[in-house]
Amino acid sequence: MATWGMVFDLRRCIGCNACAVACKQENSLPDGVFFTKTLSEEVGEYPDVTRSYVPTICNHCEDAPCESACPTGATYTRPDGIVMVDRNKCIGCGTCIVACPYDQRTRLEPEMLHEGLFGGGRLTPFEEQGIGRFTVGTVVKCTFCHERVDAGQLPACVATCPTEARIFGDLDDPASRPRQLILERRGRQPLPEKNTNPRVFYID
Amino acid sequence: MIASNRIADGTFRVGVGLQKAWGVQMATAFFFGEAGAGLYFVAQFFDFVLGMVAGLVMVLFGKAGGHVLHLGQPLRGWRALTKVRTSWVSRGLAAILAFAVAGSLHVVDVSAGVLPAGVSQLVAAVALVACFVIMVYQGFAMSHSTAIALWSGGLMPVASLTYALLNGVLLTLVFGFGEPFLAERPDSVRLLQVLAVALMLYGLVTVLSLLHGARHASEGGRLSVAMLLEGSFARWFVPLVIGAGFVVSALMMLAAPPAFAWMLAVAGLELTGYYAFRVLVFKAGSYDPALSLAYRFRH
Repeated sequence: MATWGMVFDLRRCIGCNACAVACKQENSLPDGVFFTKTLSEEVGEYPDVTRSYVPTICNHCEDAPCESACPTGATYTRPDGIVMVDRNKCIGCGTCIVACPYDQRTRLEPEMLHEGLFGGGRLTPFEEQGIGRFTVGTVVKCTFCHERVDAGQLPACVATCPTEARIFGDLDDPASRPRQLILERRGRQPLPEKNTNPRVFYID
Repeated sequence: MIASNRIADGTFRVGVGLQKAWGVQMATAFFFGEAGAGLYFVAQFFDFVLGMVAGLVMVLFGKAGGHVLHLGQPLRGWRALTKVRTSWVSRGLAAILAFAVAGSLHVVDVSAGVLPAGVSQLVAAVALVACFVIMVYQGFAMSHSTAIALWSGGLMPVASLTYALLNGVLLTLVFGFGEPFLAERPDSVRLLQVLAVALMLYGLVTVLSLLHGARHASEGGRLSVAMLLEGSFARWFVPLVIGAGFVVSALMMLAAPPAFAWMLAVAGLELTGYYAFRVLVFKAGSYDPALSLAYRFRH
């Protein structure tokens, strides 16, 4: 059984957010909901200033605080390491949201699903075909596009990234590209002080 | 470095993010939970039935009501009982159910004496233990979250317990004013007043220590404390939580004449400060920036 993980190559990311758009399209995400974002930041001091980009996503932590905090068992980890939310068990208490150090969870509010992207309560045909995937009042997050992964495909954000800044693969396989990149370029996990052991790594 | 220490707040920027998952409804539930449980806890020591009933009502309707309003799927709320092994929310719900049953039985027993002596003592002990869990578990539920530095300090459960006891003492002085257990025992009134002042001082030190710890914990914690003491929430936090909730109420209690209106005023000030604490600590809770990696990697 593989243990899926992802590597973000900060040298390659150009901040185009094609990943975020692909994710919204693949998962039919309602207005205001993002499973992945590429954040930007300016660093340095004038005249030596540069802008850098930081892709973010659910880190599918090995010691996921969202899972232990969830009072219903709705948040669980699959054998392949993907952290999921069972929308039939979620009560929308938000405990997982305040437990996630990476702020990667969103509770679906009624207006997100009913107002539509353009407001006024009219959904576009695209929104209508996707609304059945969601339940109002429950929490959603990135699933590494588990349906695509189960079918042998890459997550939508990885497949779309034009610069191959996102590398997805089996972290248990010594020959896998993410594993090699982590070793060769000293991959780092986000906020290691939180002791969550993320399965997402950053290299630069 | 420029563009650091900034609240990103949902934008596509690196920075501190404010939590919005828990708001006024949860704060209200927490308020009634700790006020009601505290009242019941103190009232049970005096076999003060009205206080126990009021405490039960506050927990069962105020706290539960706040939670029901907050939940996205309230009809599934019973599911929150299923992860007692790891989740403080589950443990709290289990304690509330035990408290509802044992507390109600104890009130009936104190009023009508329906239970045998051994069972009566057992029920009273279960009610007291469940009540104690309600008084502290909210603090543990918050401090369990390492995501939010303002909440994750070990002093949050201490703050919960201190506030709950303080609320209980003050509400007992108000609800029990003129009742025989206080009217005929001036020493009990004085004891509760001294206890209230001591808890106010202890609570003040606890809250300040909590803020001090958060300020030095991380970037998010520092910004949270800055919001509470200097920023947009300072105009509420300083006068209500620190001023009305601790300083003014403690001074008033020290000078308290034996008058119902005075007790009511002190309790009102303290409860106002406590509610403000709950709301503002939720609102100021913030996530650390996931990374500022580019800078940290290259320098």
